[in-house]
Amino acid sequence: MADRDVVFRVKRYRPEKDSKPSYQRYRIPYRDDMVVLDGLNYIKDTMDPTLTFRWSCRMGICGSCGANVNGQPKLTCGTYIRDVHRGVVTVDPLTNFPIIKDLVVDFDDFLNKLASVKPYIVREDWGDLTKEYVQYPEDIEAYKQQSMCINCMLCYAACPVVGANPHFVGPAAAALALRYIRDSRDEGADARLERLNTKSGVWECTFVGECSVVCPKDVDPAGALQTLKFLATMRHMKRLLMPKMASR
Amino acid sequence: MTARPYPWKRPRGWWLRNPRYLSFQLREAGGVVSALYGLILLNMLLQLRAGESAYTAFLDTMRTPPMLYVNLVLFGLVVFHAVSWFMLIGKAQPIRFTEKPIPWKSAFAVNLVLWLGVSGAVVYLIFGGL
Amino acid sequence: MADETQAPEIASMWNPGRETVHADLEAAEPEVLMEPMIWGLFSLGGFITAFLFPVTLFLLFFAAPLGLWPTDPGAFDAFAARWADPIVRLFFVVLIGGSLFHGTHRLKFMLVDAGAKSPGVQGFLDVVLNGLAILGTLGALFYALSGWLF
Repeated sequence: MADRDVVFRVKRYRPEKDSKPSYQRYRIPYRDDMVVLDGLNYIKDTMDPTLTFRWSCRMGICGSCGANVNGQPKLTCGTYIRDVHRGVVTVDPLTNFPIIKDLVVDFDDFLNKLASVKPYIVREDWGDLTKEYVQYPEDIEAYKQQSMCINCMLCYAACPVVGANPHFVGPAAAALALRYIRDSRDEGADARLERLNTKSGVWECTFVGECSVVCPKDVDPAGALQTLKFLATMRHMKRLLMPKMASR
Repeated sequence: MTARPYPWKRPRGWWLRNPRYLSFQLREAGGVVSALYGLILLNMLLQLRAGESAYTAFLDTMRTPPMLYVNLVLFGLVVFHAVSWFMLIGKAQPIRFTEKPIPWKSAFAVNLVLWLGVSGAVVYLIFGGL
Repeated sequence: MADETQAPEIASMWNPGRETVHADLEAAEPEVLMEPMIWGLFSLGGFITAFLFPVTLFLLFFAAPLGLWPTDPGAFDAFAARWADPIVRLFFVVLIGGSLFHGTHRLKFMLVDAGAKSPGVQGFLDVVLNGLAILGTLGALFYALSGWLF
């Protein structure tokens, strides 16, 4: 039983027949406990099966359902309609990405950027792989915050630098680079800092800070980027001043 | 798929879309204005070397309206830049003095107190006190 | 530093999707040379600007005209007397240098953001803006040393 109606104003784009995106309005009934994703699914199930959008877990862990809700990057599964309801709820695809169809964006670039920072443990010598690597609670604390990233790309939608410069490595990839640099099992800090000390690396960041504001998992990519700038500078100075010693 | 994805282009007024973007632009402007004041201070040293009448003429230009009002606005941007800097180094903390990061509000408060202390030192050491 | 090809069996075992992501891991982008140093100067300048500018500008340009201070620290007699102190001279060199390196870096990013994107223009801005900061700092140093060393 619905309490009242809400209008969803959703950006549509059908590549076979549209030359540019346009809005379509749907009036749907809603209850207080509905999230934006429930609204989109209601539309798809009962009103317009052609509406296309990504979603999966419905609980803010898979990172699939990112969209711009009333101009702000949000996970549609984690945004209650009652919190954004001003008569009309506008849903756009994530800012700063090319649109494939409706709310589905093309994020191949992001995947390439993520791969470029080597988001996995890098070691010279793996040792005895039948035994675990010992880590104490403080070792895990060192990288835990950045490890919470779900690759939802809300931070890329929030970052004006990504919007102007698609080559910028971006918040999430940088945060994950730091996650592995800070992992006591990892030995790949030099390789990652080398990759980040480039024209598309950390130096593009101007610390707007919006990425950390929109992050649904409190990863704080902005703080991570400033730390990486500092680490990259230290490494750079070491290599310039003491080239024989800087070989990690 | 034969159709291309619809390309993204960042709109010109992007920084008007939310208050944090606007405050970012003001902060950037405050930084640029600081460089402007750096040049003004350099000019002040030039006029100091040129003698009393040149220096006083320069100072009067800076202090009489409407230049005083212009300066007040620019000074406002410099102060905004300073306050946002204290907030940012609280949020970034690239050098870790403690095991866990300090909550940014505490770091911000510490910075503000430090600022008061440093300002006091400048009053006494540089400008000879009250 | 582990190379990408060193443990191929392990690599493909626990990250099978890597081959489908067209990451060009072989053609590495070249590192930048000056950016880290300029960022370091920019950061230092930011601290200098944030901590020292408000009180200095207030005392020189606003304290007396707004009637907020008993004396006028900016007036010729007062300032010239202070200028004899080498600490004061050093202070102004640091202030001018710091604010110039900080502000020109910000200006460059503002201009690039507003549309100056081509590498040629960016290179030009780098030279002009950093050159301005260096010249300004040297100028301040010159005025600080004149009347003292020469």
